[in-house]
Amino acid sequence: MSQLKNPAGAAVQSAVLSRVLSSLGGMVTEFEEQNPRRGWVRIDPARVREMARLMTDEQGARLATATGIEVRDGIDVLYHWALDAEQYVVTVKALAARPSLQIDSVGQDLPAALWIEREMHDLLGAEFRGHPDMRRLILADDWPEGVYPLRRGFKVPKTDPAGGRERKKWAGAPRPPAGPSASQPRGTRPGRTLINIGPFHPLQEEMEFFQLYCEGETVVDMDVRLSYNHRGVEELSTRLTWDQVPFLVERVCGICSHSHPWAYVNAVESLAGIQAPPRAQYIRTIVAELERLHSHMLWVGLAGHFLGYNTVWMWAWKYREPIMDILEQVTGSRIHYACVRVGGVRRDIAPDMYPAIRKAVDSIKKPMEMLTKAVLDDPVLHARLKGVGVLTKEDARRWGVTGPTARGSGLAIDVRRDDPHGAYDEVEWKVITQEEGDVFAKAVVRCLECFEAVKIIEQCLEKMPGGPIAVDVRQVPPGEGCGHYEAPRGETFHYVRSDGGAGPVRHKIRAPSYVNIPSFRASCIGQTVTDVSIILAAVDPCYSCTERLARVYDASTRRPLYGMDELLRLSRAKTERLKKEV
Amino acid sequence: MGWKTWGLKRSPWVYHVNVGACNNCDIEILELLTPRYDVERFGIVLVGSPRHADALLVTGICTRQAEPRLRAVYEQTPKPCVVFLIGACACTGGIFRHGYGMARPADEAIREIDPGAIIAYVPGCPPKPEAMIVGAVKALAAL
Amino acid sequence: MEIAAAVAASIGTLLVGFFSSWVDRKVTARVQWRVGPPLLQPVYDVAKLLAKETLVSRRALGRGFLAAPVVGFAAAAAAAAVLWLALLRPAEGFLGDLIVVIYLLTIPAIAGIYGALASGSPHAAVGASREMKLLLAYELPLILSALVPVVQAGRDPEVGATFSLGALVQFQQNAGWTLWSVSGLVAGIVALLCVQAKLTLVPFDLPEAETELMGGSVLEYSGPPLALLRLTRTLLLAIAPIYFATLFLGGMGDAASGWSWLALAGKYVAVLVLVVLVRNTNPRLRIDQAMKFFWFGLAPVAGAAVVLAALGY
Repeated sequence: MSQLKNPAGAAVQSAVLSRVLSSLGGMVTEFEEQNPRRGWVRIDPARVREMARLMTDEQGARLATATGIEVRDGIDVLYHWALDAEQYVVTVKALAARPSLQIDSVGQDLPAALWIEREMHDLLGAEFRGHPDMRRLILADDWPEGVYPLRRGFKVPKTDPAGGRERKKWAGAPRPPAGPSASQPRGTRPGRTLINIGPFHPLQEEMEFFQLYCEGETVVDMDVRLSYNHRGVEELSTRLTWDQVPFLVERVCGICSHSHPWAYVNAVESLAGIQAPPRAQYIRTIVAELERLHSHMLWVGLAGHFLGYNTVWMWAWKYREPIMDILEQVTGSRIHYACVRVGGVRRDIAPDMYPAIRKAVDSIKKPMEMLTKAVLDDPVLHARLKGVGVLTKEDARRWGVTGPTARGSGLAIDVRRDDPHGAYDEVEWKVITQEEGDVFAKAVVRCLECFEAVKIIEQCLEKMPGGPIAVDVRQVPPGEGCGHYEAPRGETFHYVRSDGGAGPVRHKIRAPSYVNIPSFRASCIGQTVTDVSIILAAVDPCYSCTERLARVYDASTRRPLYGMDELLRLSRAKTERLKKEV
Repeated sequence: MGWKTWGLKRSPWVYHVNVGACNNCDIEILELLTPRYDVERFGIVLVGSPRHADALLVTGICTRQAEPRLRAVYEQTPKPCVVFLIGACACTGGIFRHGYGMARPADEAIREIDPGAIIAYVPGCPPKPEAMIVGAVKALAAL
Repeated sequence: MEIAAAVAASIGTLLVGFFSSWVDRKVTARVQWRVGPPLLQPVYDVAKLLAKETLVSRRALGRGFLAAPVVGFAAAAAAAAVLWLALLRPAEGFLGDLIVVIYLLTIPAIAGIYGALASGSPHAAVGASREMKLLLAYELPLILSALVPVVQAGRDPEVGATFSLGALVQFQQNAGWTLWSVSGLVAGIVALLCVQAKLTLVPFDLPEAETELMGGSVLEYSGPPLALLRLTRTLLLAIAPIYFATLFLGGMGDAASGWSWLALAGKYVAVLVLVVLVRNTNPRLRIDQAMKFFWFGLAPVAGAAVVLAALGY
């Protein structure tokens, strides 16, 4: 069990931490101030729910994520709370002691914790009392019980050579409370989602990612099955050295490929108290904003595709190409840049490349202007996107969403401002927010953020300092660190723990879509089926997660109604209908 | 195989199967359809069902959860067909090879159900769209 | 002899259809700043499909599933033969061949529906039900619009109302194209839109996806049956403008003269251009909107056109 330096009651330097400690009061057993922006607190595990309530209600904190780590006495659960307005991250530790490994579930009060507790149960075997839904989240259906990948002594279980055809069917979402006419339809069994109503297409069976349950045209419930892309990155990370990890984590997601390494590096640098040189910070920022540009333009194209504007898709991706080219020139690859390392960056940007960067960034100004204008003025898009998939500010807070999803709902949170790193506090830029929380708002946020990105890049090029691009890091001392970064989709959060060795002993990765996707339960419920595909797209989940992997079920009979291509068709049809009406 | 492949070479319809990828290869595949690369020039069309497909574009490391899907898709694809393993992950497992998420290499999974399967490897992380086009052209020419 | 001629007519129509299909894809590509496929691409597609294996789902009604494309293709080919007969040898056409052609042209759609339902896939079933609704919607205006040239011919005491395509063509040669009358113009527009629906092109392509092939209804087809479905579509793409030209644009004059072939080609291209233009510049309607459009929009209009024709306009 990691010992934090100060017992409860010791003197506190930071005002923020002091406020948190006094709010938590008697449950605190020890704490530590790592630096002016990071604090660590250990509490009595019996009072976790109270802590969660105090943090959200009194402190206005946001649950970024939670990490589970096996320690000698049990499983330590670390709740990472982001106090965005105060530019502080405080981690609250509570031990789920052996032998029971049980602790109260925070998820029963705070939706933002629902998935992460399921994940900790899957990967570590921690038990969360009172959690409403303890099904598997990210391990495969044929994963044996009792084998936990993040525990010591873990061995990979063999796969079934027959391809797992006999494996258990995944039990779908628990049924909503039965209405007056809820008789069991013939052939269904409680808890089963898929019914063989006769013929079925093998592709349509089971492998769906999103399951939406509807009554008539209205969505009443939603469920998500992960695991298709689960590659065990956190476990792999513990087998690598500090310097090798960025190559691994940049492949967590192809589009946020600069974001994950930077968040990781932030965590390590925070742990070790390293400060990367200014030139490295600027280079990191430039690459990051270029990534934001290409990611948002990609999203615009995909959104157009979902709505039926295929020309928009072709056009947005055509104008995205200069950004990809300049990224290749600057970093060596169109994607997967291998740019960041602990202590700095790997490659410099030669001054003779600055004009090329300026030119590339200039070339998208006009298309983005035309596009933004089109989005803001087009009456069909207004009719199609306004008021659709509304995520209220309150829901956004409770589900802990980040990024344009949050900023579109009026939550002005942006890690670039709330925890300054890189060059963000040395250049002028705005945090873009909209109030309505619908798909239109999120689209506007993304369009306008492109212009901010362009501004940031141009200022960085002007102000670029000279000097080294990295500091030499010989050893990472024992300790722990949290780092986060504003990826195009939202906050990427990394936690690392070191015991002074060659690599991390624990590395927690939380991608932005992980907190944004569950919020569909709030934004999809009550919406019509035709709008589902655009609502799913609005939080900009990774493409491969949503492609062809959504299905719609009838809520009462659990019969499959539509697949993804059907949803797309419905979505496009509605667009055209609106075109005629407008 | 002569006359059978004559049409195949000029009209390869592709179906994209993601079995555990980071999306990079998937996006680059989509980029092939966009104006800069425009693979419709070669008759390549992205179809919505494996039954219409002549080539499978497999990306990702073939996770435990997705492996049965890969087999099902392969069985559903009428022969003759070519399987393109796009990217380091599909070819060998790439950087995730030793992780617990990977079931087995994708080519092993396919060869288990069809030892005579035609498999083409397009390595890279991700392979550039030009590399994918070259890979496709070479594989089709070799048929 | 007749069979050889019929076969020749079908093949000829097919070739025309291939060309039209290529034009459609090329135009779409150009609109999207792309280059598009080569000229022979539709041929390659069919050749490729013929060489693939046929997969039939365990749950499908095998024989019906496989027979449906054959029936659809045969009907389309027969319709092509009848139309060409009317064009090339108007005097030899048989009475009622207009009705025969309209019937024949519905069979591919019905066969498609049957095949989709027999395939055993719930997705195909959804596509099939949409196609059924669309069929029910546009057949009435189509028939009504076809009545207009008949009624117009009926006003001429020498010809009398006739359902013979050949006679209608000859009537138009003498009295002027159907399109150049008020009722003819109205009926022509209605017919054009119905033809667009019969080809399941935008704005009426809801039974199928946006991709080249029909999405929902043909999901389960592969190999040669799919090739047949493709060929059927190709045939229809060629037949539809010819049908329109026959009824509304005077068909073709003397088959021996090259000039009338040129005229026919001109008419064909004009109609094709219209069809492709409508397809590329219009929104896609939802199925209930399409039905309303045909039942409450076009059908009364076509009915009015018939009345106008009877009154001499």
